[in-house]
Amino acid sequence: MKTIGILGLGAIGRLIADDLFKTFDGEIILLGRDLKRLKQLAKRKKNVKIRYANVSDTKLLASAFRGIDVVIHAVHHEFNLNVMKACLKSKSHYVDLGGLFHYTKKQLKLNYQFKKANLTAVLGIGAAPGITNVLAKYGSSFLDKVENVEIKIGGKDQSTYKQTSPLSNTYSLQTIFEEFSWKPAIFTEGKLKFLEPISGREDYIFPGPVGVQKPQYTIHSEIATLPSSLHAKNVSFKIAFDDDFVNKIKMLKELGFLSEEKIKLKEKEFVIKFVSLGILKKLPNAIPDRINQYEIISVIVTGTKSGARKKIVLEAYVHGINETDDKDTAAPASIAAQMVANGMINKRGVFPPELIVPSKSFFNELAKRKIYIYLNKRHRQ
Amino acid sequence: MKFDFAVLGATGEEGSIASRDLLNSGYSVLLCGRNPARIKNLLTNKKAKFSYVDLTNIKATAKTLKSSGARITLNCAELRLNIEAMKACLLAKMHYLDLGGLQEMTVKQYKLDKEFRKRNLIALLGCGSTPGISNVMAAYAVNQMDSVERIDLGFAWDSQPKTFILPYSFESIVYEVTTPSVIMKDGKLTKSKVCEFEGVKNFMKIGMQKTYCIVHSEVFTFYRYFRNKGLKDVHYWAGFPEHSFKVIETLIELGFSSKKPLKVNGNELVPVDFSREVLKNIERPKDYKEIEDVWVKVTGEKNGERRLIEIGCLVETIDGWEDYGSNVDTGMTISIMAQMILKGIIDGDEGIGVTAPEVVVPSKPFFHQLTKRGMKIYVDNKQFL
Repeated sequence: MKTIGILGLGAIGRLIADDLFKTFDGEIILLGRDLKRLKQLAKRKKNVKIRYANVSDTKLLASAFRGIDVVIHAVHHEFNLNVMKACLKSKSHYVDLGGLFHYTKKQLKLNYQFKKANLTAVLGIGAAPGITNVLAKYGSSFLDKVENVEIKIGGKDQSTYKQTSPLSNTYSLQTIFEEFSWKPAIFTEGKLKFLEPISGREDYIFPGPVGVQKPQYTIHSEIATLPSSLHAKNVSFKIAFDDDFVNKIKMLKELGFLSEEKIKLKEKEFVIKFVSLGILKKLPNAIPDRINQYEIISVIVTGTKSGARKKIVLEAYVHGINETDDKDTAAPASIAAQMVANGMINKRGVFPPELIVPSKSFFNELAKRKIYIYLNKRHRQ
Repeated sequence: MKFDFAVLGATGEEGSIASRDLLNSGYSVLLCGRNPARIKNLLTNKKAKFSYVDLTNIKATAKTLKSSGARITLNCAELRLNIEAMKACLLAKMHYLDLGGLQEMTVKQYKLDKEFRKRNLIALLGCGSTPGISNVMAAYAVNQMDSVERIDLGFAWDSQPKTFILPYSFESIVYEVTTPSVIMKDGKLTKSKVCEFEGVKNFMKIGMQKTYCIVHSEVFTFYRYFRNKGLKDVHYWAGFPEHSFKVIETLIELGFSSKKPLKVNGNELVPVDFSREVLKNIERPKDYKEIEDVWVKVTGEKNGERRLIEIGCLVETIDGWEDYGSNVDTGMTISIMAQMILKGIIDGDEGIGVTAPEVVVPSKPFFHQLTKRGMKIYVDNKQFL
C-alpha cells in the first residue's frame, strides 16, 4: 500500500486531506506541530495516521517522513527547500503548491540530486501555479511554435454570509503580502523583466458570471518555468482581487506594515510583516451561510500552426457550491501526488507541472471534482 | 549642569518640538526619553543633555528630574502616562505641564490637585494646540462677555500632497474616534455617540471638510471654569481630511489599534504600540505642507445684547520646521507656557494646583508669542495684533 503524507494542515492542507480521504486508497499521514488538531482531523478516518513534524528542522523532518512515498508540502513556500532536502534524506517524492518565482528557481537546482536519488519533485501544482502550467502546455500542443502565453485569474464570490470579515483573503495572507510587495516578473520579447508591484491593474472581461475584473501583475512561478518549457517569447501572469481588498493591502504597504525590516519594541526585535500578519490573523473570520464562489483560470496561448497564426483559449471553470473555490488549489496537489504514487508520473528529477503532469488524465481527474476545462469556449470532452 | 527645564518624552515629535523651541529661546534643557538617536540634532546644542527615562518607574523618573536642577517639567509623553509623570513631579517638587489627557485622564489628573497645592506647585494641563491654544482663545472671548451660553470648538487640517502622515499621537486619535464623546448640554455633561458625523463645514484656507464629534478635555474644563458665567452647551468638532481619516478608520477596522497583547514568534507585543512605531517611520514627502485651523466660537451676551465671537489660530508649515508640519502648534505652545511660568507671567508658586490654560494663561502675551513663531490669530476674521 502506498503512503502519501501532507505536511501542514492549514486551510489548503485540510482541503488536500479531504480530497485524499475521498479519492486515495492508500495510507495517508497528516504531519504537523499541533498533534491535537491532527488527531481531530484523523478521527474516524480509515488508513489515516498522524505524526509530529516541524518544517524548520530538516533532520527531524526527514525522520517524520520515513516510509512515506510522496510528501505534499502545504506549508509556506519559504520552507520548500528545507522540505525537499528532508525528502532526499527520507527517500520520498515531493509535491508542492508553488515557490513564488524566486524559490522555484532555487528548487529547480535540486534536479540532479532528485534524479540521482530516483525521486520526483513536482513544483507548484495547485491552481496557479499548477492548472495554469498544464493548460499552457496543453495549449502549446496545438501549435508548432508558441509565441505568447497570457495567464489571467478572476473570481466572483456570490456567497451569502452570516458574518463578514474586514479582510476577506482567498489564500495565504503571507503570500498576498509578498505578491503585493515583490516586483512581478514578466517574460517579454525573450527577456525577463521586473515591474512595479500592483501594476497593470486594468479592466478585463472574464466569461460570466465572473465578468469585468481588474487583474494585476504579481510575482508568480509560472514565469520561472513556462518560457523555457514552451520556448515562448512572451509570458505574463495576472490575478484579480476586489477593489476593497486591494485598497486595504495597498494602504498597509504604503504605511510600511508589509516591510520585511525589523522593528524594536521594548528591547525585542520583530519583523514588521510578521507582526502585521499576526494582527490580521486575529480578525474575525467570515461565516458563510451558503457558499457560492466562482473562479476562472484563463490561459491564452498564441503562436503558429503550419505557418498560420493560431490562438488557443483555455479556461478552467471552478464553481464552489457549499465548498470553497480553493478546491482548485488543493485538488491538483492531491491528483499529482496520487499520479506519482501510482507510477503514472515516473520521470525522475525536479519538474514544473507542464513537463511532467499528463494533461488529459489530469483534466479528467479535475472534472471528477467539478473543475471543468474549456477549449476555445467549448467544453473539453 | 543645572537646567532651566526638563522635558519628558523629548524623543517624540511633540517633545522634540518643545525642546527645540526652549533651546532656541536660549534655555538649557534636560531631554528625557528612551531613544536619543531620534534627537541627535538637538543634542549638538551645548545647553541640551539626554537622560534615559522610563516613565513607568516613578521614583527613578523623579530622581532624574530632581537631579536636573530645573523647577519646571514639560510632559510630552503619551497621555496614558500623565499620572506617573505628575507623581514624579510631586516627588521632585517641580511644576508640571502636559499636552492634555482627553476627558478620562483629565478627570483623574484633577484628583491630584490637593497634592500640588500642598507643595505650592502648579500642574497646567492641556498645553498644546487643542487643548491649549483653544482654551486661551475661549477665555479671551468669554472674558469679553457678561454671560456665556454656548461654546463650539475644534480643529480642521489638511495637507498637500494628500498623503497620510500621522497627525498626532496614534493612541490619542484611536481613543478619540472609538470612545463615546462627551458634550455639555443644558448645563450637564452628557455622553454622546462615538465619533458622530456632524456635517461639512468651511474652514479658513482649508475649505469644506467633514467634521465629527469627538471626546476632548476642553468640554470638561470649560464646564468646570465657565459654568459660573452661565455656560450651558459645549460641543467639540474634529475635522480630519478624507485621506487621513480613511487610513485611521481602516487601521482600526483591521485590528492595528488593538490593545490586546499578541504573541509573535514567542514574544508578546501590543498592536497599538507596534502601529505607533511603524507609523512614526513614515517620511514626509519633499515639499509636504500642512495647514491647521484651531477654532472657537463663543455665544453669549454683552450689555444685554447677544454676541458671537469667532476666534481661530491658523497654523501653516513654518520655514525651518518643515519636518513637523502643523504639529508645531502643540510643541511650541507647551514651551511658551512653560517659559511663562519660569518668567513669573504665570505665577506657579501661588499654590494654584491643577489647572487649565483658560484660567492662568494671559491671552494677549500668549497670542503675541504664537504670532512671533508664525502662527496667526484671527478674531472675527480679522488678524489679531
